[in-house]
Amino acid sequence: MDEEFNWLEYSESMERATADAEDSASRRGLRRFLPRLPKLPGLPRLPRFSRPSLPGLPSLPRLPRLRRGAQASASAQPLASELLGGQSNRPVEELDDRLRALRERSNSGAPAPYQSLFDVDEALVSPAFQGKPGGVISAVALSKAQQQQVEMLKDIVGGPLQAPADDNRRLPRPTRLFSLSALPRLLGTALLILTASLPFVSSDFAEGELPPADFAEDRQGAADFYNKIDKVGSADYVLVAVEYGPAAAGELDSLAELLLRHILIRRAKPLIVSSNPIAIVHAQNIMQGINRSIPNVNARLASGEDYHLLRYLPGGALGLRELSENFADFARVSSRGQLTGLELKSLEDMALILLITESADDLRNWAEQVLPEVASMDLLAATGYAAQPLAQAYADSIPDIIGPVYGLRDAYTYGEKLRANFKPLLPADSDRQADVELAPISEPPVSGPLFSGEPEAEVERERATALPAATATHAPTATPAMTATLQPTSTDTPTPTATDTPAPTATDTPAPTATEETLLAVEVVSTQRVNIRRRPTTVDDVLGLGNPGDLYEVLGTNGDGSWYQIALGDGLEGWVAAFLVEEREISANQLAGGEEPDSASLPRERAVMRLDFTLRLGKNQPRYYQAPAPLPGARPELALPRDRSQEIPRLHAMTMGTVMAVLVIVIGNLFYAVRGLLRRRSPRV
Amino acid sequence: MAETTIAVLSFALTLMVFSYLLGDVPLIGSLYRIAVYIFIGMTAAFTLVVSYEGVILPFLQDIQDPATSWTTLGNRADVYIFFAALLFALLLLLKPVKSLTWLTNSVFAVVIVVGAAVGVTGAITGTLFPLLQATVALQEDLAADFGALVDTLLIFLGTVSGLYYFHYQLRAKADGGGEQSPIGRGFRHLGKVFLVAALGAIYASTMLSCLTILTERIGFLFQFGA
Repeated sequence: MDEEFNWLEYSESMERATADAEDSASRRGLRRFLPRLPKLPGLPRLPRFSRPSLPGLPSLPRLPRLRRGAQASASAQPLASELLGGQSNRPVEELDDRLRALRERSNSGAPAPYQSLFDVDEALVSPAFQGKPGGVISAVALSKAQQQQVEMLKDIVGGPLQAPADDNRRLPRPTRLFSLSALPRLLGTALLILTASLPFVSSDFAEGELPPADFAEDRQGAADFYNKIDKVGSADYVLVAVEYGPAAAGELDSLAELLLRHILIRRAKPLIVSSNPIAIVHAQNIMQGINRSIPNVNARLASGEDYHLLRYLPGGALGLRELSENFADFARVSSRGQLTGLELKSLEDMALILLITESADDLRNWAEQVLPEVASMDLLAATGYAAQPLAQAYADSIPDIIGPVYGLRDAYTYGEKLRANFKPLLPADSDRQADVELAPISEPPVSGPLFSGEPEAEVERERATALPAATATHAPTATPAMTATLQPTSTDTPTPTATDTPAPTATDTPAPTATEETLLAVEVVSTQRVNIRRRPTTVDDVLGLGNPGDLYEVLGTNGDGSWYQIALGDGLEGWVAAFLVEEREISANQLAGGEEPDSASLPRERAVMRLDFTLRLGKNQPRYYQAPAPLPGARPELALPRDRSQEIPRLHAMTMGTVMAVLVIVIGNLFYAVRGLLRRRSPRV
Repeated sequence: MAETTIAVLSFALTLMVFSYLLGDVPLIGSLYRIAVYIFIGMTAAFTLVVSYEGVILPFLQDIQDPATSWTTLGNRADVYIFFAALLFALLLLLKPVKSLTWLTNSVFAVVIVVGAAVGVTGAITGTLFPLLQATVALQEDLAADFGALVDTLLIFLGTVSGLYYFHYQLRAKADGGGEQSPIGRGFRHLGKVFLVAALGAIYASTMLSCLTILTERIGFLFQFGA
């Protein structure tokens, strides 16, 4: 077009419209209470700046200017259509379904589906063009370059910029229940789920090697991670930041549970904190799961005593800065609004900071806001796979960040390492009974060389680690394993006194004889109740439910050993899936009259002090509760009884799923590449 | 019974989330939205409860605790902070009043500016300086630690070329066009290679995360069925 748009006239009209709009808006707001100032009369309007051509002065040379643009252009103005020209020239056949639909709709001249979008030009029309037929579109004259850009936009959007006359302002809804365009992603997902399910069905599909039982030499950060936690003492506090929500629970729960178990085994006290309120609730569930796995009800953990759930930390980076500077005040209140009774001065009172996160941003925030505020404090990073790349970079660059330990495979390795280090120290099942019986005695609690303090425990730990794993299996005899495995040599540790290792007397525990009959039993190791069925198949009737920790005598197995036939009492028999239970060799007496763990009971509340808040003055009297004195030394029994039934199938499922995902991606890309090539050669294909 | 109910609900919600694969179609597409709404609603409710119990109630308790007097300086400061926070909260409630939006925006401005200041200082002391120190900390004997030298050079090249990739400006030519030197183009391509490698690593890691979560769900269903 030859006629160019008059920007000067347009800007003046816009200025007047803006002034009117401000004037009316100010009368609606607070300014309506203020007296209106009279406009200054008589001031002449200053001439607008233009590029004058003063006579007698040479024209200045045009300076080189920096312009935005990716490609060189021969025209005066680099055009967006030129920059994106390669994209707009793409054949229709190579576009995906949605873009192709837009393109086809544009070519057919059909109205765009979202017609209300084209009301925008009416809403934004300047007062300068109101009343003119055609609105702003007809009033603006476009240059050739602008026209090309408009054409390109129309090409992308897929419709004319004029609203149709019969605009009913209703968005059309798709009518088909199933679109063929969804078929590829449905097929890929079905293949992925099917492949990942196979290892759970049969061990024939157990593809891929299991992770090693110890961290490899090139994983020094992970090994340091383990050793740092392993060195915390019984009087230490560990700040555990659980920074993941329900969406990442499937990935990080097993790792978080192992880390918390490790801290609790060392009798250190985890102070659990999170800037995610849901994570606080979730962490409480994890602790309850750990508690339920402890067969001895009296030995279960108590919130507010063995561990603390601190209050929710709002504010993101600001909250973290607050945490690092006023930690004593922060740790004063639990997540339930009760006083914790913790007498902490600052974050320096922590032995370690452990961060369990799904997001790299959380690690960055902790590294930036908390770590610089504490001197020589280690931040242990446990992450999901998605956060691992950044966590690795931080761990490689900042000496105070240890790790990372990440993902399901590291969780498996960590669990194996924990079992290897603590299983030899475990008393046999019958001796765990002895512990239960010894607890009410008023004498000093068990404080043998293993349980008496840090240096001795360290020496014993090293000795125990060197023991072969075979010695850690359950001894079928009734000889207390505490004396068998924990008996220190005189050169390693001080000789335990009689009060340190109490010998079970006949009054304390029934002294089993060597001829006592032992039975093969299974113990429910799942954290949830399991179905006991009439026949070894999941489609048969459920006879009853087995609680975690329950023991059942084994009567036999099915052909491939995937089901146990168990005795239910009163002559009843049932079948339980093998991956939900673990074999135990126990005495007949233990099965008949042994302690039945109360799996349904929740962890005891034996908080030292609780303060129930009310909103009325004078009603805030703290209520004190008696808490039993904590036992010193490590608690190796926490290393074993956890649900590991799904661990190995999940690892194999990860391998199968990864292979299938790669195959789907590769085959899908090849398919679309070949199809694109064929259509480019032959448009009719 | 409760566990069975929870398991059945979990299974149903899992299927509802998977209905997203079918796209935005009538009825079926709504299942995904319903599951998301339930999740968001419960999250909001939990957040409210946890915030009330862990933050608001202790704060109110501090204010009205008769054991501490308002005459003490520390407690008086707490009172001032409390009323400042209360004032800010009240101002935020004025958001629907259009003529008073500027009051709400001023509260947001304070929060955003303070947050940005804390973020910047933290980023400098917590990330930038440590990363710089680690990057420039070359070994004295480079021959003995050739790997560290290569690592450092790769980090340097990746950082500079990655930044240069986002440099879109061209030097204008006499005819009004723009151009970029061949060296600049090559450097941009190098930056693209680093960016693609980094994004590929992140994508692969994210896919592993998703697979882990998928296997957990599948394992849960098999465990429940058994």
